[in-house]
Amino acid sequence: MSAVSLPSGFEALEVFVSDWSFATAAERAQRRLDSTAQEREVFFHTAENLVAPALDLLDAKPLDQHDAQEQRLMSLLLSLAHIGLAVEIQGDDEPRHARDARHITITRAVSDS
Amino acid sequence: MEESSTQDHIELDEDTADLGTSPIPAAPYYQPDYFALEVEAIFRRSWLQIGHVCELPEPGSYIVREIEIADASILITRGRDDVIRAFHNVCTHRGTQLVSECEGSRSRFSCPYHRWTFADDGELLSAPDFERFYVDKADCALTPVAVDVCARLIFVNLDATPQESLAEFLGPLATELEELPSAQATTFSEYTYEIEANWKLTYDNFQENYHLRFIHPRSGAAAAGPQNPFGYPVNFGFHGTHRTQTIWSNPDARPLPFQGLAFVKGAELAMRDGFGDVTRAKQYYAIFPNLFLLGSPMTPFSQCVIPLSPTRSRGVIRLYWNGEDDCASRRFAREYAMATARDIHSEDRAVIEAGQRGLNSGALTHIHFQSQEILCRHLFQEVNRRVENWRAERDAAGRALL
Ligand code: FES
Ligand SMILES: [Fe+2]
Repeated sequence: MSAVSLPSGFEALEVFVSDWSFATAAERAQRRLDSTAQEREVFFHTAENLVAPALDLLDAKPLDQHDAQEQRLMSLLLSLAHIGLAVEIQGDDEPRHARDARHITITRAVSDS
Repeated sequence: MEESSTQDHIELDEDTADLGTSPIPAAPYYQPDYFALEVEAIFRRSWLQIGHVCELPEPGSYIVREIEIADASILITRGRDDVIRAFHNVCTHRGTQLVSECEGSRSRFSCPYHRWTFADDGELLSAPDFERFYVDKADCALTPVAVDVCARLIFVNLDATPQESLAEFLGPLATELEELPSAQATTFSEYTYEIEANWKLTYDNFQENYHLRFIHPRSGAAAAGPQNPFGYPVNFGFHGTHRTQTIWSNPDARPLPFQGLAFVKGAELAMRDGFGDVTRAKQYYAIFPNLFLLGSPMTPFSQCVIPLSPTRSRGVIRLYWNGEDDCASRRFAREYAMATARDIHSEDRAVIEAGQRGLNSGALTHIHFQSQEILCRHLFQEVNRRVENWRAERDAAGRALL
């Protein structure tokens, strides 16, 4: 990974690229289940205020015209969709929630490329 | 003051009076004998949702779907003439399963055994050394299965001569279903689960809100409030064998910041998609025997609860989308909507299984439904009526043979 893997303005998210980029929704859901509370919180709280500007930036082009930097940023946003539920909604219920969620398999997602 | 809701008490009216109020026998929720009767009386002779038209995108597309409890494998094709047809996936020579892939695109199907080859309209096109047979090709077409479409949902009926058409079966609800997002969808996301529980026990969980505050205290927060602490629906509707409810949501609920961002993006895009008609947004349809559909433009899902054994089922949930993801916000909002629905569905599974374990013990002869569990009562009555009718038919046929 190069030092400038994300569009400028999103340098703070650089440290999450290697751990939170996946090709499918099933992998993102699994990563959520395998994560620690600390991992989730650091990722979510670093990223939460960057989500709206990131969507604004990425919405300027159709998805299929995104360059590699933009694709990486998109990938982080999609992981956040899962992690946001864990941190913001489930909170300290997440371990119990994760126990049940393991039985629910994502078989197909419109975001799978 | 005792906790109360906006719908403390449901008056029995002409729709609901004959549903009664008595306890419901427990045996139908676990006993193999009863399940075997349900398979014959219901699953082998009702319209069952098995797919969506977007799974057959062009002439030549086909899908194969198993109906395990009937040992049936169904081949559904979209012919060059654009007609959707269904057949038993069974070669008419000696019964070999014709197609082993679960989807694809082709216009002819060759049996792996002796290479009888069928067209996508079921006709036998060619068969090696056919002169040695004692039958006409015209009599060797694939065995058709009744198939029809409503709201782009594909239904099949295993009865060789269904007692009613799909339109008759759905009645006036057919028009409503045509207005739901699934009727415009071109693609979907899907998640599934297997559960050690009877199909009715599983299905019932998703047609009562009594459990909401206990099982979904966080994920279901906006679906209850001080004025309706159980989040009971605004109303119930009974439509012959089907039923509906109008979901209540707390007008004072404020989404959390990240959740709100995903919802706003989703709402903007749903409007742009033409899913903006909110007339049916809170309508939740329970289509007999085992399908749910939610009208919400933001989370337009279906759930099919597929029976596998007296105490095992599979849930298949699909979220329907109009068009592929074209921009970042759409992709993000859809991912969030799917993950949200999945969170809520996942919370129910363990407690349904616990209910099944309790019933399996035989400790209870009866279970109880309160007035806000009336949809569960209605399902049981509809199932039981068919089971009793079928049992009577079978017994009469048995006597005639004596
Ligand atoms: S069983 Fe299919 S060709 Fe013989
Ligand atoms: Fe639930």
